[in-house]
Amino acid sequence: MATSGTASTFRPSISASSRSTHLRSSPFKAPSFNPLPPSRSRSFSVSCTIAKDPTFLMAEAENTKAAGSDPTTWKRPDSFGRFGKFGGKYVPETLMHALSELETAFYSLATDEDFQRELAGILKDYVGRESPLYFAERLTEHYRRENGEGPLIYLKREDLNHTGAHKINNAVAQALLAKRLAGQHGVATATVCARFGLQCIIYMGAQDMERQALNVFRMRLLGAEVRGVHSGTATLKDATSEAIRDWVTNVETTHYILGSVAGPHPYPMMVRDFHAVIGKETRRQAMEKWGGKPDVLVACVGGGSNAMGLFHEFVDDTEVRMIGVEAAGFGLDSGKHAATLTKGDVGVLHGAMSYLLQDDDGQIIEPHSISAGLDYPGVGPEHSFLKDMGRAEYYSVTDEEALEAFKRVSRLEGIIPALETSHALAHLEKLCPTLPDGARVVLNFSGRGDKDVQTAIKYLEV
Amino acid sequence: MSSTKIFQVRGQLHPRVPVRNHRMINSVVCGVPIISHHRVSNVLSRTSGPSLGYVPTRTNKSPFLRGDCKGRFGRFGGKFVPETLMSCLRDLEDKFNFVLGDHEFQVELTAALRDYVGRETPLYFAELLTQHYKNKARNTGDGPEIYLKREDLSHGGSHKINNALAQAMIARRLGCSGVVAATGAGQHGVATAAACAKLSLECTVFMGTTDIEKQSSNVLSMKLLGARVKSVEGTFQNASSEAIRYWVGNLENTYYLSGTVVGPHPSPVMVREFQSVIEKETRRQANQRWGGKPDVLVACVGSGSNALGLFHEFVGDEDVRLVGVEAAGLGLDSGKHSATLAVGDVGVYHGSMSYLLQDDQGQILRPHSIGVGLEYPGVGPEISFLKESGRAEFHTATDQEAIQACMLLSRLEGIIPALETSHALAFLDKLVPTLRDGAKVVVNCSGRGDKDINTLIQRGMPSSLC
Repeated sequence: MATSGTASTFRPSISASSRSTHLRSSPFKAPSFNPLPPSRSRSFSVSCTIAKDPTFLMAEAENTKAAGSDPTTWKRPDSFGRFGKFGGKYVPETLMHALSELETAFYSLATDEDFQRELAGILKDYVGRESPLYFAERLTEHYRRENGEGPLIYLKREDLNHTGAHKINNAVAQALLAKRLAGQHGVATATVCARFGLQCIIYMGAQDMERQALNVFRMRLLGAEVRGVHSGTATLKDATSEAIRDWVTNVETTHYILGSVAGPHPYPMMVRDFHAVIGKETRRQAMEKWGGKPDVLVACVGGGSNAMGLFHEFVDDTEVRMIGVEAAGFGLDSGKHAATLTKGDVGVLHGAMSYLLQDDDGQIIEPHSISAGLDYPGVGPEHSFLKDMGRAEYYSVTDEEALEAFKRVSRLEGIIPALETSHALAHLEKLCPTLPDGARVVLNFSGRGDKDVQTAIKYLEV
Repeated sequence: MSSTKIFQVRGQLHPRVPVRNHRMINSVVCGVPIISHHRVSNVLSRTSGPSLGYVPTRTNKSPFLRGDCKGRFGRFGGKFVPETLMSCLRDLEDKFNFVLGDHEFQVELTAALRDYVGRETPLYFAELLTQHYKNKARNTGDGPEIYLKREDLSHGGSHKINNALAQAMIARRLGCSGVVAATGAGQHGVATAAACAKLSLECTVFMGTTDIEKQSSNVLSMKLLGARVKSVEGTFQNASSEAIRYWVGNLENTYYLSGTVVGPHPSPVMVREFQSVIEKETRRQANQRWGGKPDVLVACVGSGSNALGLFHEFVGDEDVRLVGVEAAGLGLDSGKHSATLAVGDVGVYHGSMSYLLQDDQGQILRPHSIGVGLEYPGVGPEISFLKESGRAEFHTATDQEAIQACMLLSRLEGIIPALETSHALAFLDKLVPTLRDGAKVVVNCSGRGDKDINTLIQRGMPSSLC
């Protein structure tokens, strides 16, 4: 921590291409975002008419060929913003230009020394990076088997960032980007807008506003305008739709700070690259601490940003196992969960093709999780890709298991995890008994749990 | 120390003692209600106090900086405790001196501060705040530059963890199985609970009922971290007294973890030493940043731990101005404040001699501040000494000014400071116009304000900032 520099902030993972060939034949009529009914079989079938474009079909074929078992050959994403068949840009015409502009700006930043320096400075002095890689002694002891063997648990302390979660990494970078484009996620966004003198409007589902009243106040204290969304189920997905509608209307003057690796290209790539500092630091810290790489990476998955932030750096290192943990809510069979990758089907939501929780008519199923941050019926397209390629494994954990982990880690390590993070921590119960002695597990401690104390207390006996 | 009084402090202590019984003086500091010590404070007023020993001058840096071997800073400090505690305090002092030089301890502590607490904390240039003051001044010229030492980014959200962690490590080395502490705003309680969880120590935290109400989220956090929270009628001072009583009753296996630079020697020195990581980093960061030292250091003062954590290293640098800001609550004339140094008198409280808020009869006045962590009727003896020697200056800020400052920083920099910290920030309004262009001001951003959101909601937002 005493070192002066931080990791370089981000590098786009594919070569810069300022020419984006967006597909003019999109049948998409703004602003409806309901996916077309998907095919019932799991095999790929694009559920919109874009498939008819021959350019697209060729690119698709190339992708399938390229997506073999060697991750270094994968395009993440390709020039259409696709990760295999996932991703893309399913947006109305009005937004295409804004997205192209964003993509161009993003690529140019890779070589912009001023931007890099400014961002590195902000990450260091404002956000408080680099975040430590903390050896969780008591947690390791907890998982030690009777014969004295067991894995070693390390926590990547994103909870120590300013605002208490990994979200700020992306928010500061996008706000800086927005300034240049001059035009726990809500609090992080309000924070950076304050810091950069940008006007900030945040859309939040009315239900979520109730659950997170203190966060709403914090956003207002930081100067943001918080607009409640009452349509649909009044949760994140409806708020996202409303935000996108606002953006479509004000696209000349507004930048949409998307909080996760979902959404149309270039967002999944951008947000991932802005969070990739997590993985980069982890690689260096692991080398310093034990002279090697992690054996297993574990992270919770809602939209997928903190997980991609940790995983991205190591995707090409096939000996590093990657595990994402989703929210099983009341149980996978209850119908009240948010385990998109386990129980979802492929479709299009909020501009990208990915797995979604949807019923037979293609209507989005309202997800449930005790943790608001995992309560999203979709998932980032890159996660869908990594799952289908078998590069990453995805499991799920119930509300109850998450609460147990919340309490356990607070008691053992004196760190209160966010309920989201608690899902990843809960999975250790199943994972650790299967790991060989001395296996090094790095878990992304994506946020602190101060915001969840009131919720948890209702369920836990303390 | 009157040996005939020992039995009164061992075991159950009387809840009330006769007001004018001056023979109770020496039993005061174990948490017996403070009513009894008025005689001491009348005797030891500023104008007529007997000299309690060697008063170092500013040129004689060593004792000036560390206190003498009896833990005195000039006439302040000392060990006003019953016989029963003397050997404990001696053990503690020995252990403390040992760990200061013990390589293994230092390595373990450094690693924990880095990986667990998240040090070093940044020295952040508050550009928009700096600009705000420049615009306000409307003069040509650059104005001073304002930097924030980001203790709010530490694990737990305040500087308290620096000390709690180190002392919990000492507790473990002493072979204690449990730790007891008292807390005001709850930050020290949370820090202690966290450190104890990490080090497998049992933790008992005493907290005043009024504070429990105001800082309920901290109470919940402590419980989640595995601590037992015991409520005491009143505020921090009552909780402290009760915690000390508990300690006395469980001396063999319990460690009293002091959260601030008050109490009998060696507490003030220990806590200050463990907080000094703040200033050591600041010196290095200032040097890296602008190749020099800060010109002015500003910190809020409740009992004085974060202030000393920032000041102490620079006490010997006479070109660095030290500014502490106390809580003026509803105003110094209202009687509802915590401005100990501004209007207090010298007396003995909780084991050491220092300034206190007391009335003519020597009764302790109940302090008030919207920043709960500043609500203490005393102040650390070293702080008293810095004031009396003129090395540091102390000012005050009201509740209202603190709230305004909190909202300003939130709005301008996207950092929500604790209400305690906001007192230091509030003083910038008066300080900045007096400073030369380019002066480097470092404010100790001692904590984050998430715990104060409910208070802010209750107080509403001033329309000027909406």
